[in-house]
Amino acid sequence: MTQRFRLPNGQNLEALRDVSLAVREQEVVALVGPSGCGKSTLLRLLAGLDRPVDGKVLYRGHALDGVLGAAAMVFQSFALLPWLTVAENVAMGLESRGVDGAARRDAVARAVNLVGLDGFEQAYPKELSGGMKQRVGFARALAVAPEILLMDEPFGALDPLTAENLRSQVVDLWRDPATGVNTLVIVTHSVEEAVFLAGRIVVFGSNPGHVREEMANPLPYPRQERSPEFEEMVDRLHAILTATLLPEPAPATPQRLVPFPRVHVSEATGLLDHLLTRPDGKGPVFELAEDLGVDYDRMSAVVRAAEQLGWVTTPGEIVQLTAAGREVMAMDDAARKDITRARLAKQPLFARLVAMLKESDGAVEDEEVLADLTIYFPFIPAQSLFATLVEWGRYAELLDHDADAGRLMLLGWEPAGAAEARVE
Amino acid sequence: MKPLRLPAAQPGLADIAILCLLGGVIATVVAFAREFQAPFAQAVQIDLRPAALPRYTLYSLSRGVTALVISYLFALAFGWTAAKSRAAERLLLPLLDILQSIPVLGFLPGLVLGLMSLFPTRNVGLELAAILMIFTAQAWNLALSFYNSLKALPPPLRDACKVAGWPPGRTFRELEVPAAAQGLVWNGMLSMAGGWFFLMVNEAFRLGDHDYRLPGIGSFMSVALDRGNVQAMALAIAAMVIMIVCVDQLLWRPLVVWVEKFRLDESSAGEAEPSSWVLDFLRRARLPRRAAVLQLRAYRRARRAARPLERPFRGVGPVILRGPRLALEHPVARKIGAVLAIAAFAAAAALGIWRLWLLLAQLGWREWGELLSSAALTFVRVMGSVIVATAWTLPAGVWIGRSPRIARALQPVIQVVASFPAPMLFPLVILLFERIGIGLGIGAVALMVLAGQWYILFNVISAVAAIPAQLKDAAAAFRLPRLARWRLLYLPAAAPALVMGWVTAAGGAWNGSIVAEYIQAGGGLRITKGLGSLISDATAHANFPLLAGGIALMSLLVVGWNRLVWRSLMEWARTRFGYAQ
Repeated sequence: MTQRFRLPNGQNLEALRDVSLAVREQEVVALVGPSGCGKSTLLRLLAGLDRPVDGKVLYRGHALDGVLGAAAMVFQSFALLPWLTVAENVAMGLESRGVDGAARRDAVARAVNLVGLDGFEQAYPKELSGGMKQRVGFARALAVAPEILLMDEPFGALDPLTAENLRSQVVDLWRDPATGVNTLVIVTHSVEEAVFLAGRIVVFGSNPGHVREEMANPLPYPRQERSPEFEEMVDRLHAILTATLLPEPAPATPQRLVPFPRVHVSEATGLLDHLLTRPDGKGPVFELAEDLGVDYDRMSAVVRAAEQLGWVTTPGEIVQLTAAGREVMAMDDAARKDITRARLAKQPLFARLVAMLKESDGAVEDEEVLADLTIYFPFIPAQSLFATLVEWGRYAELLDHDADAGRLMLLGWEPAGAAEARVE
Repeated sequence: MKPLRLPAAQPGLADIAILCLLGGVIATVVAFAREFQAPFAQAVQIDLRPAALPRYTLYSLSRGVTALVISYLFALAFGWTAAKSRAAERLLLPLLDILQSIPVLGFLPGLVLGLMSLFPTRNVGLELAAILMIFTAQAWNLALSFYNSLKALPPPLRDACKVAGWPPGRTFRELEVPAAAQGLVWNGMLSMAGGWFFLMVNEAFRLGDHDYRLPGIGSFMSVALDRGNVQAMALAIAAMVIMIVCVDQLLWRPLVVWVEKFRLDESSAGEAEPSSWVLDFLRRARLPRRAAVLQLRAYRRARRAARPLERPFRGVGPVILRGPRLALEHPVARKIGAVLAIAAFAAAAALGIWRLWLLLAQLGWREWGELLSSAALTFVRVMGSVIVATAWTLPAGVWIGRSPRIARALQPVIQVVASFPAPMLFPLVILLFERIGIGLGIGAVALMVLAGQWYILFNVISAVAAIPAQLKDAAAAFRLPRLARWRLLYLPAAAPALVMGWVTAAGGAWNGSIVAEYIQAGGGLRITKGLGSLISDATAHANFPLLAGGIALMSLLVVGWNRLVWRSLMEWARTRFGYAQ
């Protein structure tokens, strides 16, 4: 399948390219990968909420036309109607399946009971905690006795304790023949969650979204998160994800423009600060993410930024503080800015920007830069990349930005005319 | 499904009140329908005795409510179409923008003549014209509100309904309309107030040598003004105020409280929940709930009985519908449909422009010169009225909005005062001005202030009230002097809303100029040169080319000024002073 979207600026964005995936009965499949890799798009295609531009979705050999009736879906944001009670929300999908009267009441009661919401039937969603709301989301999905349960980061909006509790209940629900659910597809951001739940883990790469690798997970259920087998699985998935998130630097080709990761200055220095506290100034990227309380996707972006500045290296999934990085952390603020400026000037994207600014006497319209960025990096939102460039440029006292006039300026650059005038 | 328990049958105080209200509504509807069906009478004799006033008030109210119902239907259809189809969106939104800002009063003569030729023997034509004129003052913001709510609906909710297999009709009823309910009710309040603005003109106006008059509170007032009957004038104003207060307390307050249920975001903590004594009182009633339960039981019984009959259709329906569905969803069919729709629209637009051109071609150089110089005068008055209105509403708005206690106490009062149709006061104000020696040339500015000031006041109050508490705390903690507090906090925070208020206030002033520069009071006619009086005069003398020219010029000025000046000012205020970071 291939899926494209039309962006507001009229461009076509390819979200998925040539993705082929078979999900078999009795399987639990987890889709993982960096944000923007199209895993949620794929889930929507499976549910029949969107149609692929090329290719098709087959259910038991038949091409899908409209929403897949055998599937139910659980949403990250719960997607409950605030003006309906718990019972009414749970009953949402029953009418169109012809379940009426006493049968509907039974189905609701059964689903409510399965997720442990008895007594909350007449509550409104706003009266419930996040965990309880997601239970309603699960009950609504289970009420229609689906064969397939599609879940889009179902625990993403919950606190860790609640998420852990619900996670093990999902396994129980799947193993319980009474629910009728025999196949799960889950989109997740958490490595542990994927290993805990899935029998097969599909790792996606981005720009455009594609399947990079599949990993089978034969551990028997129920899985113990502290067991060595589990840890080993997690490490294996880490290794695969690292290859996706932190690819070994390609041999330097001066023409190739590399986008600068969209992270803040304070995040990069924060990473260095944290590495300084560790023995030998190094640690695995997933551990760092956990210690600092950010997801691995964000962490890897920060690491890539620090790597481009030469402050860390990444042998495999280990992040190692370099000598330059140590030096930078020992400097005072002014010296740190000087060294950052020198480093940034060598980064291909900044180098190009500086050249562009010098050509036009030290000042360029925002629009011009944005247009340039859109051409070179069609998969990255240009506005957000631009904001990152401005932040780093200002920090290093390399660039300045006039928000009122919408202009980007090169600092310490004397326009040719002015310099001549001074000579005279 | 909830088990249905039948409430007891004996009526309480609330039940009796509801029955009385129901009886009153039915009697009003019957009386209004009779007036609708009455043989055509061009100018009804208006009875100036106080005893006749309640009937007239109910007639006017019926017109307003009928127009509001039509406005809601229009808003649902319009908003839905614009939100669902990108082609429709591109066509309808600019159209709405224009309709919202042009002086609709100018279309009254054409509408009256057209509808009267449709119903030559009954009052229906004249009544419909009045209702449609009210509709044109109510519909646009409702349509925009529904469209915006649909666009702001979180996509997962839509997906959840799709996954649940809800047909579009059910999603509309149970997701889209409830999610928009709050906006629809709030805007309904504004619309109702806006609908009263031209009440007097809608119910009593001259067209050529014909006098048209419908029984209603507006015509009552205009006859009272003609005859200089002060007692009747006072009574009419009092009746209007009572009607506005009653509608506010009996209809809008309960609705505002009730639609709280349909709030999408849950962050209402800290805000005072609105309350309504009427709703609290009505909730004690048992009979309506008993009726509802009985009706629901009957419905369920009927559904159960009908199920064996439905079953064959359930299987056959999708098969029958497959053909048309395929045809409708086929890309080629959709493209053909879109082309046809655009062609029809273009043809209608071309025809309209051609007719307008024929009218405008009859105008000579002299008349164009007259139009342009009048427009310049009115333009100066409009801008003057915006400045004067800002001069008092900005400090007042900041003062009120700064303190939640004052805002809570004054908001309902201001709402009622703002709903009062300012043109009803125009003649009185002008008579007062004449006594102290101010002519209509300047006086019209004051009238236009009356027409537009509330928009600015409301916007400033809500913007200042929405200043984050921590910003106010910071200003206090750093002991900003009073002047600096205004310069650094209140004025910048109010700036985007202030510009928004200017846009609507200027629109109101342009509209108001039609009645402010041309006033019938104390038995005499007062006119001052301007585009508004030119339009009114052209209407009174049935000079259609001049009327068309005046309307076209005013529309062009308003829309052009909106596009060129207000929009860029708004953009600037929003990026410079918005909170979004």
